[in-house]
Amino acid sequence: MKAPRTPMTARAGTPAPAEAGAGHWPGTVPAAEAPGRLAVPEGRRRDAERFQWGSLALLAPAAALLVVLFIIPVVYAFYLGFTNLQLVGINAVDWHFTGAENLRRLAGDHVFSYSVELTLVFIAGSIVGVVVIGLALAMLMQVALAPLRILAGGIVVVAWMMPAITAGMTWYASTTARGTFGTLMGLANSDFLHSEPMLIVTLANIWSQTGFAMMVFGAALRNIPRDILESAQIENASRLQRFARITLPLLRPTIVTTVLLITLISLANFGLIYVMTQGGPGNATSILPIYSYQQAFQFNNLAYGALVGNTLVILCAIFGAIYVRVSMRRA
Amino acid sequence: MAASAAPVAPARLPADMPLPNRAGLRALSGQAIANALLAIFGVLFLLPMLWLVFASVDARASWSIEVPHLTAANFADVLSGSNLQSIINSIVMSGVSTVIATVCGALAAYALSRRHIAWKGPLLLAVLFLSGVPLAILVIPVFQMYSAIGWLSLLPCALFLAVTSLPFEIYLIKNFIDAVPRDVEEAARMERASTFQILTRVVGPLALPGIGAAAIYGFVTAWGSFLVPLVLITDPTQQPGSIAIFGFIGNAYVRYGDIAAFSLIYAVPILLLYTLSSRLFRGGFVLSGAVKG
Repeated sequence: MKAPRTPMTARAGTPAPAEAGAGHWPGTVPAAEAPGRLAVPEGRRRDAERFQWGSLALLAPAAALLVVLFIIPVVYAFYLGFTNLQLVGINAVDWHFTGAENLRRLAGDHVFSYSVELTLVFIAGSIVGVVVIGLALAMLMQVALAPLRILAGGIVVVAWMMPAITAGMTWYASTTARGTFGTLMGLANSDFLHSEPMLIVTLANIWSQTGFAMMVFGAALRNIPRDILESAQIENASRLQRFARITLPLLRPTIVTTVLLITLISLANFGLIYVMTQGGPGNATSILPIYSYQQAFQFNNLAYGALVGNTLVILCAIFGAIYVRVSMRRA
Repeated sequence: MAASAAPVAPARLPADMPLPNRAGLRALSGQAIANALLAIFGVLFLLPMLWLVFASVDARASWSIEVPHLTAANFADVLSGSNLQSIINSIVMSGVSTVIATVCGALAAYALSRRHIAWKGPLLLAVLFLSGVPLAILVIPVFQMYSAIGWLSLLPCALFLAVTSLPFEIYLIKNFIDAVPRDVEEAARMERASTFQILTRVVGPLALPGIGAAAIYGFVTAWGSFLVPLVLITDPTQQPGSIAIFGFIGNAYVRYGDIAAFSLIYAVPILLLYTLSSRLFRGGFVLSGAVKG
């Protein structure tokens, strides 16, 4: 039934009798009647794999939206990064290209380099926490009793589902002075959110993303053939050996993909940190998305904020390239 | 104690391999440790949520966790006046955004799944790449564009949110349409069904779980969005619930119970929709019967 996808059949404009339904799209018929084009060899399906003008109509709405409100803004952001645009004041109306001036400012900006550091710490901490706890939970779920599995799994997944605003509020309340954690640890008056802000926001991020990793790892674990593990058990492989030599290598592609997703989601998790600390105290939790927002909308430097945002894109591109490298090496 | 536990051990083992008693014991203790660890994780994950639940029904709530003086006043407070308005704004914003993204996404996904399109591979890769671009870099240029044409309000904001979830929705729906057998569609084409009819009567219903999952994804992202409405909506009466909750903190007169109740209520639609979508996936895909042998 399947026609081989050759460029020849793809480009050939032979009329297709079965295509009567698509005839109402203008343009189909003239293209089909063009004479002297490459003929389709006998026996091939004539309705397969041709360009149809209708396809453009189907793609048009999504393409228009993506170009106007996604791709153009990305390009525009790069341009804005090299201007002196301000949110208010003279330069809000009368702004122009300023070349490398913002770059010079970026190079001397200690808050920016601190912000890059914080971003890397936040990402690394989140990745380690989410992958380790997510994998541990997925493996524990395999052997645990059913009621406990449903209850604990349910709690972790609910934590993952919570909107950023709710998760942020929850963690703010639990870690501020007289919050749940301090009370339970007998340090009721210590404000963890103030004394260890980066640790707390990273923990909150881990808390709100582990459920996702747990579900993905759980599905991957179920796909590992039981007989491999059992034969290793018969060969007297220890639990640690079975984990390191069988489970982990088989899970590697899943872990690599999860790490990339966690990275991207963490970088997009503006709401969680902003609700909890608004980047503070001082600049202690102002990772790149927060610093970009602060520069643009609190210090009124729209252009400089855009430039900080651009460095975030470069950071994402680096992460993406590393991901491609790592997953290529596997193949 | 060892003697009493030993005979029970083999029966509890998941594998029905005959194991010597000592190994059986070790497996049993291993299982006990696993259960204990899982319970500890469960409690740790539950701890932060406790305040949310207790404070939401506490008439004298504060940041600390206490036995609540039961009341429903917090919820009544949150579901009235400007708070209710902000929840309605959230519904409008997320609903409009979901409809735009899902309709445009489904059309594009159908074309990308079924039609011959030049550069399809790179195009799909580009779409996937777009879904990874962090929103934080888009809000500044879009703010500038919107403010130039006076669009800093609820519906344009919903439009932008639709665009941000569009790439992933296209990908999700395309995967589902790929799984719909082509023969069903070709049978309809033989009967001279138009493309529109095929989309609405044949492929649409068959790919409904996928379209539903994509719509839920779109709604959940828009509902939870914080940065985008914070920047793109200037009128306070048009702000969605997520921004309204945040406004509670800054107030000089903080009503902790209201914060908890509002946060909880704001999470409810998301929890319901996720449950629904997992059911959609599980009830999933029984299309094999649609084509005869």
